[in-house]
Formats: sequence, C-alpha cells, structure tokens
Amino acid sequence: MKLAEWIGTLRENLKTLKIVMIVYLAVLVVFDVLLSREDAHFIIDKIYAYWAIFGTIGCFVLIKFSKGIAHMFLAKDEDYYE
Amino acid sequence: MKIIMSSWLHPALFFFLGSLLLPFFQGKARKALVLLIPVLAIIAVAMAEQGIYGQYRFLNVEGVFGRVDKLSLIFAWVFTIMAFLGALYALHREESGHHIAGFLYVGSSLGAIFAGDYFTLFIFWEIMAFTSVFLIWYRRTKNALDAGFRYLLVHVFGGLLFFTGMMLYYYKTGSFAFESIAPGNAGLAEYLILWGFALNAAVLPLHAWLPDAYPEATVEGAVFLCAFTTKTAVYVLARGFAGFEVLAIMGTAMTVFGVCYAVIENDIRRVLAYHIISQVGYMVAGIGIGTHLAVNGAAAHAFAHILYKALLFMGAGAVLYMTGTVKLTQLGGLYRTMPWTMVFYIVGAVSIAGFPLFSGFVSKSMIVAAAHQEGRLWLMNLLNLAGIGTFLSVGLKVTYFAFFGKGEPVTAKEPPANMLWAMGITSLLCLVIGVYPDVLYILLPFASDYRPYNSHHLSEALQILSFTGLVFFLLLAKLAPEEKINLDVDYFYRKGVWLFLKFDDKVIAVFDNFWGELYRTLGLRALFKSADLSYGFDQRAIDGIVDGSAASTVELGSTVRGLQTGRIQTYIALSLLIFFVVVLLFAVM
Repeated sequence: MKLAEWIGTLRENLKTLKIVMIVYLAVLVVFDVLLSREDAHFIIDKIYAYWAIFGTIGCFVLIKFSKGIAHMFLAKDEDYYE
Repeated sequence: MKIIMSSWLHPALFFFLGSLLLPFFQGKARKALVLLIPVLAIIAVAMAEQGIYGQYRFLNVEGVFGRVDKLSLIFAWVFTIMAFLGALYALHREESGHHIAGFLYVGSSLGAIFAGDYFTLFIFWEIMAFTSVFLIWYRRTKNALDAGFRYLLVHVFGGLLFFTGMMLYYYKTGSFAFESIAPGNAGLAEYLILWGFALNAAVLPLHAWLPDAYPEATVEGAVFLCAFTTKTAVYVLARGFAGFEVLAIMGTAMTVFGVCYAVIENDIRRVLAYHIISQVGYMVAGIGIGTHLAVNGAAAHAFAHILYKALLFMGAGAVLYMTGTVKLTQLGGLYRTMPWTMVFYIVGAVSIAGFPLFSGFVSKSMIVAAAHQEGRLWLMNLLNLAGIGTFLSVGLKVTYFAFFGKGEPVTAKEPPANMLWAMGITSLLCLVIGVYPDVLYILLPFASDYRPYNSHHLSEALQILSFTGLVFFLLLAKLAPEEKINLDVDYFYRKGVWLFLKFDDKVIAVFDNFWGELYRTLGLRALFKSADLSYGFDQRAIDGIVDGSAASTVELGSTVRGLQTGRIQTYIALSLLIFFVVVLLFAVM
C-alpha cells in the first residue's frame, strides 16, 4: 500500500507540514471573525474565535487535570487487584 | 403486499430461532447461516409497519411484544445492521457458542426495544445480561472470568432496582404499561426504574461495570457488547424519562468523566470503554434536555455511535488479534504493517470526534445545538469540552502511539479478510451518514428541519478540533502512556469483596463458632433441665390431681423429652402440628 510511503514523506518534511498547519489555524480564526453575528443570542456567540480559545485552554486543562489526578492517586500497578 | 404487511414478524425471532439451528451446521454452511440471520432480521425491520402487535395476557399482566413506532424502529434498524457487521467481523470464529451468545444477546435487545410493557421488557432485560456475559467468558482467561462475574453481579443489582420500581409502579397505578413519565409525577417507583435503566446506560456512579468488563471480552464479543446494552438503556430512557433534569446533568458529567479517564488509560480497549460512557453521556444529556431536537439528537447519536464505536472496537480488536496486545506502551509504528486497519480506525476516530463529513458531526451537534437553543450554556460548554477530550484521546493519542510512535516493536500483518470487510463496510456507513445526513434524519422520532452543515457549526467544530490538535502536539511528551491501571468506583466492590471475605473469615466465622458453642453448652443444658421439670410436673401435679390418667401423662412427659433431641425434623413436625391445631380451633369456633 502506498499509504506508508506517503506518511514517510510527510515525516521527512515535518517543517513544511508545521507551516501548513499554522496557516490553516490562522485561516480558521479569520473565517470565524468574518462570520455574521446578527442572530447571536448569547455572549459566547459574540466573542471572536471563542471556540479556538476554548479548544486551546480546554485541551490544556484536560491534559493537566487528568494526568495530575492520575499521578496523585488514581494510577496503580497493573497487578493491584490480584 | 398488503397480506405480508398486515402481520408483523418480530426481528428477534430470527436471532432466537437461528441460534437453535446454528449447532447443526458446520463450515461454510454455518458461515452462510451466521450472515443470513441478521440479513433476514434487517428485512423484517424494513417491512415493519407502525402499530401495536403481539398483545398477550399472562396472569394479570397485559403484555405487548411489539410496539412498533419511529423511536423503536430507529433502534431496530441500527441493531440489526450492527448484528450483521458484528457477525461478519466474528465470522472466522469456530465455536458456534460464541455466535449463539451474540445472537441471543441481539435478539433480547430487540425484544427489549419492542416491548410495550415493563413485564416483557424486564424479561428481555435479564436475558440480555445473562447472554452477553458469555461474550466475556469466551475469552477464557481468569481476568475475563472474574470480570464476567462482576458484570453479572452489577447487572443483577440493576435488574433488582428495575424490578422493585416496576412492582411499586404496578402497586401505584395498577398497570405495567411502559409509557412516557412526566418529571413532575415521578415518585420512588419511577426513580427506581430510572436508576435501573441508568445502570445499563453506565450513568455515574453506576458505570464502573463497563470499563471493567468490556476490555476483558473476546475480540469479537467486545464489538457486540459496545453496541447493545448501553443503547437499549438509552432507548428506554428516551421512551420513559425524557425531560428529567437529573439526566441532563448526569449525562453531561458522564461526557467529561469518560474523556478524563480516556486521557490517562493505557489499554486501547479501556480508552474506548471510557468513551462509551462519554458518548452515552451525550445521549443521556439529550434525553434530559428533553426537547424534540434533543431527543432526536439522542436517537441519531445512538445510531451513529453504534457504528463508529463498533468500528473503533473492531480496529482495536484487530490489533489485539494480530499482535496479542492493545497496550499503547507496547505498540507503535503499526502504520507500516497494518495500514488498512489504521485507515479504518481513523475513520472511526474522526467520526467519534465529530469531524465534518463523518457521522459524529451530524448527530452530536444536534444535542449541543439543543443545549444552545435552550440557553443551557454550561451544558453546551461542557459537552464541547468532552468533544475536545474525545478527539484528544481516541483520535490523537491512540492513533499516534499505536500506529505511529517510535520504533517497530511488534511484528504484525493485516487481520483476516472478514475483519477487514466488516471494518470497511462500517467505515463506509460512517461516511455516508456524514455526507448524506438525511438517510439518518428520515428515521428520527420527531419531524425536524435541523441542518448540521451551516457556517457557524462548521466554524465551531473545526476550531475546537484543530486547536485541540495544536495543544496535543505541544504537550505530546506529557501524554506518553504509562504501564498503569486507574482506580474507579469498582474499587469499592472489588476491594469490598475482599474485605467481606476477610470479615467472613475473621468475624462471622468466629461469631458462628461462638454461637454454636453457646448452644451446645447452655441450650442443651437448659433443654435437659426443662425436660426434667416437666417430668417432675407430670409425676407430682398431674398424677396427684387426675387419678387414673397417670399412665398417659407419663407417656406425654417422655414424648416431650423425646422431642428435645435437637433433630430439626421433630421441631418442624411439632410446630406444624401446633399450627394445625390452632387453625382447627379457629375453624371450629
């Protein structure tokens, strides 16, 4: 299957891939700013790029919180119940 | 045409009768039969007309086997389609017992969704628990055996909640009819039924059975398990308890809870199991919000979820089948050796994450939109937070660490053709629903003009998903999987059983011995003493008063002594005798 080769090519050009991704994120934010806000009922509908901010902070908080609580007391060795 | 339509064939019949036939077939014939049974059931669903069928009267119960309406039909559609995909995926399995367990499980789920009364529902509800457990036990490991028993234990408890509620409901209303309940009228009976249902939907805190049992199931069994139990529960909650605020809150809590665990789990099938809790949370929340759009969303999401979650379990199962492990710490680089499996898994992952053009987008967004429409902004934000966690763990973490990651630790190849075909067809269905949502919307219980593809929704979904991707790559090192298991509330009954056994050994046994000893020394001595007394009473008092009856009294005295032998039969006989004498006296008087 060709797929493995394509993925290999992408991995060799990580720098270009990164630039493409950053441009894509920027385009998303611009697209949201341009959207009409005429029928916005709630505050979150009026903030520009609200879901981009939400996604960034939310993902950060989820990782920190889950990993933190696992390390604090949830994680046990695999033979814990035996 | 009219002649065929006027009567109704219960789709479950094919699964029950087919299971009886399966053991008599071998090889290719059995494989054909395994695929034929669900196909016939799909045809039966396609031909079903709405109405009430199969009414029966048993003792005092007015039962209904077939309530066919839009809500039961949409679940019947996806259940029978899923049965076909699951059967195709499991086609290589030699034991007919595994197929039979799967089919009986599907059949009883269908029985449950078409049931029009609590009594019929309860019977199918229990068959579901006792047939599905074999899909865990067929793994034939000690862990699977133990997990299966815990699974049964919890489901029997849930069944008891349901049964108690059902009996109280009958006492209150004089009927077993299973209809929609208004939140304002709900009392103890209704809430007991609700929590019995909620246990099967893995609502917090009654959820731990799911991530405990499903990851221990067989490769093929997990594909069946992830579809039917929780979604039958979603159906009965939608039928009976739409608009219950507790469901809106607990459902939303489930969505976030599930993804938090999915972020930290190492075993892919445990990650997916926690995602069932999370995704069913969306449906439960939709049911709790209770508007037409929200309940439509719950039904649509159940439909979409069954397909993509089965697809994910198929992908993880294929990895387990070919490499012998699903621990992320032991996997990596599989894109070179299992590219098709990876492609299909990724289709499942982007579907569950809700990427535009895939099934999750058109179903999940309905529930989020319903929360938005009702001004439930907290719910909406938390549901979207769970969306972040979904893409983060199932989409990015598992894909990255299993299929990419570092090194080539495992030798693997693609799974058998039947598994690949099952994954391929399921992937196609996920895509079709995403691209032509109307094929799903036409089945929804309420009329709706909801359109998922508008610029605001697209912008919302793409921002959330893309920026989640950004943070994932920034914090990649933080997310490295660890060889650990994580505690959940099953801790209390797993450690609790251990504590109980200790308690039994140390306290109950000691108390038991002490009691036995006490009885032997004190009790027997007292009995001998009382026998002596009654003998003395015979001799001195009775003989003295009633002359001539001495002989019979002596006999009675010895009988009393004879009774005090400690033989249980004698005591029972005596108490029965006393009972009959009392009854006789009352009858005569």
